[in-house]
Amino acid sequence: MLLASFLEPRNILFENRVLTKEQLYQILVDRLCSQYKLPICGSKLMELILQRDEEVSPAYSTGIAIPHIRMENFNDTLIAMAFLQNPLDYNGIKVSWVVLIITDKTSSKLYLNIVAALLKLSNDKEAVADLHNTGDGHSVIQYLKKKEVEVKKDVTIADIMVQKPIAVHPENTLRELINLMCVYRVAGMPVVDATGKYIGEVNVLNLLKVGIPDFVMMLDDLSFLASYEPLENLLEKQDLLLVNDIMATDEKTLSPETSIIEAVFLMFTNKKRYLSVVKEGKLVGLVTAMDILTKVIAV
Amino acid sequence: MLLMIIALLVFIVTYLCIITEWVNKMLAALIGGFVIIVLGVVDQTIAFSAIDWNVIFFLIGMMLTISVMRETGMFMYIAIKTAKIAKGSPLKIMALMFMATALISAILGSVTTIMILIPIVLLISEELKITPVPFIITMVVASNMGGAATMIGDPPNILIASATKFTFVDFVLNLTPIILIIVAFSLGLIWLLYRGKMRVSNERRAKIMEYNDKNLITNHKLLWITLSVVGLMLLAFIFQKPLHLENATIAMAAGLILVFVGSRKKVETIILNDIDWITIFFFIGLFMIVEGLVHTGFIDLLAQGVISVTNGEPKTTSMVILWLSGIFSAFVDNIPFVAAMIPMIERIGEVITDPVQIKPLWWALSLGTCLGGNGTLVGASANIVAVGIANRNGYKISFMDYTKIGVLFALESVILSSLYIWIRY
Repeated sequence: MLLASFLEPRNILFENRVLTKEQLYQILVDRLCSQYKLPICGSKLMELILQRDEEVSPAYSTGIAIPHIRMENFNDTLIAMAFLQNPLDYNGIKVSWVVLIITDKTSSKLYLNIVAALLKLSNDKEAVADLHNTGDGHSVIQYLKKKEVEVKKDVTIADIMVQKPIAVHPENTLRELINLMCVYRVAGMPVVDATGKYIGEVNVLNLLKVGIPDFVMMLDDLSFLASYEPLENLLEKQDLLLVNDIMATDEKTLSPETSIIEAVFLMFTNKKRYLSVVKEGKLVGLVTAMDILTKVIAV
Repeated sequence: MLLMIIALLVFIVTYLCIITEWVNKMLAALIGGFVIIVLGVVDQTIAFSAIDWNVIFFLIGMMLTISVMRETGMFMYIAIKTAKIAKGSPLKIMALMFMATALISAILGSVTTIMILIPIVLLISEELKITPVPFIITMVVASNMGGAATMIGDPPNILIASATKFTFVDFVLNLTPIILIIVAFSLGLIWLLYRGKMRVSNERRAKIMEYNDKNLITNHKLLWITLSVVGLMLLAFIFQKPLHLENATIAMAAGLILVFVGSRKKVETIILNDIDWITIFFFIGLFMIVEGLVHTGFIDLLAQGVISVTNGEPKTTSMVILWLSGIFSAFVDNIPFVAAMIPMIERIGEVITDPVQIKPLWWALSLGTCLGGNGTLVGASANIVAVGIANRNGYKISFMDYTKIGVLFALESVILSSLYIWIRY
């Protein structure tokens, strides 16, 4: 299915006024409510949208915001969008493209696929600039048709993964690794070589394990030990040891085509909360259990 | 004759595989066991009936019991308490750990004891900033000695008990006294070898004294249940004859009760992780291979050979068995050796018919195989396991490093055993 098939020219707006988020939502809601018979409409619908915004931010780092409402007994999917000349500020994210989606409570898959298509498109800086320059709804639809922007039938890992994730090289020292982990506040990251080839993964437990010798791991119980020097000695080793010395090279990875259910399955069976996404040997992304929760479940 | 040669070849090839670690010992024993059947040395019915289920279920029962005992934290408590009682003095720690290792090993067997205690001694030596190598070597020696003291301590004794119907009390009366003597002499040897060699600052000693042993036993209810059941198990072993209970029944009863009462919810983990299936199937394969030797008459030949050398004189035969098994066990895994020696001594028993005279042969076999294992690095499983742990933690113990100490203790204990058997029987 083409994304263009879901759109109507009159529901695509170009806005050059300075508006608040609420004002813009009001305009989009009015558009839809005037044309379709919705089970919930007007100020009640506005309230729902704003409440949802509070719960989960609809904004993505690519500069698109996708507020969305699911209604009971509404067997349709409506899309209204606005291209803004004056970006809105969503908690620090500058948004110049707002897409309002209204769907039925049961059709979450289609909704997710539309979001995935929009996100992919918003990643393409050139395409977004082109869309802003079209100036009217008809041209937007024509452009999307020509570009063959598709709404896939199934969401895959490629749609929800973080692209170009932070990664380390095997020859980085542990000090450099610790810095990266602290700066980006991540508990683990993929390891790649200079060409971007995926080699393995390293996590905070691999790192802490450096300070604990093998024999301590063999003890049944450690409650008798209040302090242990070697753990503190990790600091002494951080310039001597490399990521190569502590990384795991046998971790499960995903391909971009992996389905969401398989990713969850693999996270569960491998007891991991994140997995690297690898295509033809190269690292292309990283997906976390939280990505699945926030981008698939809690939408 | 051809079948006998095949049976012997299978036994030797299996043995070589085990010694060289070319194949996993369980795999080697099972392959050997079924090769015997496939080549028609014995048929399946005979091979299977040779499996000593009394030994197999005894081992499983003890593994279940030990798994729950370990969970109570009592062994960690004993080890940490020992270090504190020694007040951080290295020689005292070594002597007390030697005794603790022997004691625990008499109940748990040498390998389990080593796996619990070696990590603790590595930790203590690191805190004291002294090398753990002398501690590891002497504790390995102690574990093999302790295991020899009781019926349940070491696999050769379990095999002998099942074959001879000697009871727990027989082992305590006949083996424990000589082991106590050997341990006492060994402590003297430790004093000679290591006195004044290890210096530790007071600051380092203080660290050991700060160990908090209060938290090691958290589940007091489980501890008391476990101690009661283990106490009942020992009582059952003592009154085995009037109760008409075999070893396997007693051990399985204790193991099943403990798992049921103490770790019901973790049964699957216990069955998977705490029962050493490698050992169990190793024994099963071994029984089948040895049956090949028995069935084809090889063991008879061997027994006749021994009798012709010793003229069937019990004392001389005991000495031959003691030293032969001592030397042999110093270099190879002693379990297949004992498994083959048992039917041989049974055959000798058909010549030396007086039960009083045949008894010392069994004790000689037990003492020789268990204590000879101390002789070299590869003499017993506990040695290999302990050195493996040490190597993984950066303390390389070479064959000679171990052997030059181990052989002293092996010689000391086999000489004392010779005197003991010579004088007592």
